[in-house]
Amino acid sequence: MEGPEPSEFAKERHAAFAEMMLHELPRDYASQEINRVTLAYFAVSSLSLLRSLHRVDKDQIATWVLSFQAKPKETHNVDDGKFFGFCGSRSCQFSEGPGQSVSNLASTYSALAILKVIGYDFQNFDSSIILESMRSLQMPDGSFMPIDSGAETDLRFVYCAAAISSILNDWSGMDREKAKDYIIKCQSYDGGFGLIPGSESHGGATYCAVAALFLMGFIQNDYNNSLSLPTSTIDIPSLVEWCIQRQGADGGFQGRANKDSDTCYAFWVGSVLKMLGLYHLVNKSALRTFLFTCQSPYGGFTKFPYEVLPDLYHSYYGFAALSLLEEKELGNLSVELGLAALN
Amino acid sequence: MPSSSSEQAYVPLRQRAEWADVRPVPQDEGPHPVVPIAYTEEFRDVMDYFRAVYVARELSPRALRLTTEALLRNPGNYTIWHFRRLVIDALDSDLVEETLFVDNLAKANSKNYQIWHHKRWLAEKLGPEAANDDHDFTRFILCHDAKNYHAWSHRQWVLQKLGGWDKELDFCHQLLEEDIFNNSAWNQRFFVITRSPLLGGLSAMWDSEVDYTIKAILQNPNNESPWRYLQGLYKGNPDSLITDERIPQLLLNILKENSYCVFAWNFLLDVLCKGLRPNNEIIEAVKGFTELDDAGSSDEDLPTRICSALERMDPIRVNYWAWRKSNLTL
Repeated sequence: MEGPEPSEFAKERHAAFAEMMLHELPRDYASQEINRVTLAYFAVSSLSLLRSLHRVDKDQIATWVLSFQAKPKETHNVDDGKFFGFCGSRSCQFSEGPGQSVSNLASTYSALAILKVIGYDFQNFDSSIILESMRSLQMPDGSFMPIDSGAETDLRFVYCAAAISSILNDWSGMDREKAKDYIIKCQSYDGGFGLIPGSESHGGATYCAVAALFLMGFIQNDYNNSLSLPTSTIDIPSLVEWCIQRQGADGGFQGRANKDSDTCYAFWVGSVLKMLGLYHLVNKSALRTFLFTCQSPYGGFTKFPYEVLPDLYHSYYGFAALSLLEEKELGNLSVELGLAALN
Repeated sequence: MPSSSSEQAYVPLRQRAEWADVRPVPQDEGPHPVVPIAYTEEFRDVMDYFRAVYVARELSPRALRLTTEALLRNPGNYTIWHFRRLVIDALDSDLVEETLFVDNLAKANSKNYQIWHHKRWLAEKLGPEAANDDHDFTRFILCHDAKNYHAWSHRQWVLQKLGGWDKELDFCHQLLEEDIFNNSAWNQRFFVITRSPLLGGLSAMWDSEVDYTIKAILQNPNNESPWRYLQGLYKGNPDSLITDERIPQLLLNILKENSYCVFAWNFLLDVLCKGLRPNNEIIEAVKGFTELDDAGSSDEDLPTRICSALERMDPIRVNYWAWRKSNLTL
């Protein structure tokens, strides 16, 4: 046989791709520059899954990530509703002028996720300001805003808050009961979850809902136990069926009913089943076949089959999906935190 | 237009007389940057000047124009949007013109959260009179991309906050006529019948909606959306699911013509598990189609038979149907 088989995981090429992205992102990524810390998380967690973290300087990465932490000025009044987490990019960091840097729940999650993946010692990390100020981002209905200066509120940020609390092992930054109430309202008539109550069921939203409930301790890694938990008032059987129905004839997972299969939903939806202890219900061989049609010859993964150019987001979730499938070249995943377990 | 290769060559702000008094603030990358982006010179130039006005908190007409240039290149940056809102408030700018600006940007970037949030901010300021125009805009976006998640979220928010419910059910129907598989339109339909203040809620709409959905299913039984919708309609009234004559009638109609319709078998399995007493026709249909893998001919065998049949008919989900079968006795 000459060259790698199409169904072979091209680990070296993927590691080279992730490393290249870590060192420089092409100009097309400028439109996503506000989320640079999240892009870094995709690159770093990819390298960890690919068992290739030794290729990078973890101390430098830690220093860089920590430089995004927003610190209050001396005159800051704790009760003014401002959030002090991590900024997502340099373009919202301001050391001069009257305005504060704008930190964001999603980039805070991404920053802490990177630190966790590279094995940063949180022992001396002062998380108190993050958790105290995070409370101001929670709305009366239990949802979260991502930033203190007004933005959409939806399930993504409930998830981020839960993940932040879990990584820091401190739940004083959020009201878990209220968050659970909001999540329950997001379950649609078909069993999946939408991003806000009334929205269409969506794979990413469903992950956010279930992972947040899992992290907060409201459901368990065992379907039968989850069914019997008194605080679990989501419809689990419908949820399971919704997830299972997302796997298409092509073996891939779609994000919503009657839409095309897309690489990333193999992670978003697959993870939900994993968290319920039901990943064995997935048709793994069909999924694997689908994912390999999205493996780019340049390294990384594409959104849809037979496209050529990879992107960092679909590459990361492609690796994560294959980790769920126990691809031997890949390390383990912490499914509920969406990051590489220490490998 | 949001492109750096527009017809007129870009003149850097550094070279424009209007900005001669301002010192641009470069991005401080710090040492050993991770995932640095290969910004174009234009991008860098505009952002350097934006930083300058942000730090100086200059809420002026030229600052507004600068945010326009910055947003055309970086529409995802919420700091720029937030600053723009401060300028608009300070200058008491024309909100209708602003709506035109953001709508044009939305057409080119219809999946950008910050743009839709800005639209929401504007809609709140403009109030209920703007509801119809706003619905016209999302209708336009949905004509080109009938499943755009942002457009649907925004539309739902406007309906609940500012109104305009009266034509919404018709709109859903129109979209479903164009594409009966459009799950977003089905979802919106559920949203309207349960939340519209003009319709009386699910209990008032339930009966006619069941008929509507049955018609859609018969039109194309291999469409997941209406099956889920039908299930959803009975959620508030589970007893009627097993007593409503229309259900076994529907299932029999379909299975006669489409004996391999997985959704129909799935639905039958579910209603049997929920307590449907199958009539003879149903029993015969199941027995006629499925294999005798269990001894006996009593009704309790039907779910088992159906699960076994589904394992064959729906191989992608073979593990799921086997698991359902094993849970039947629980």
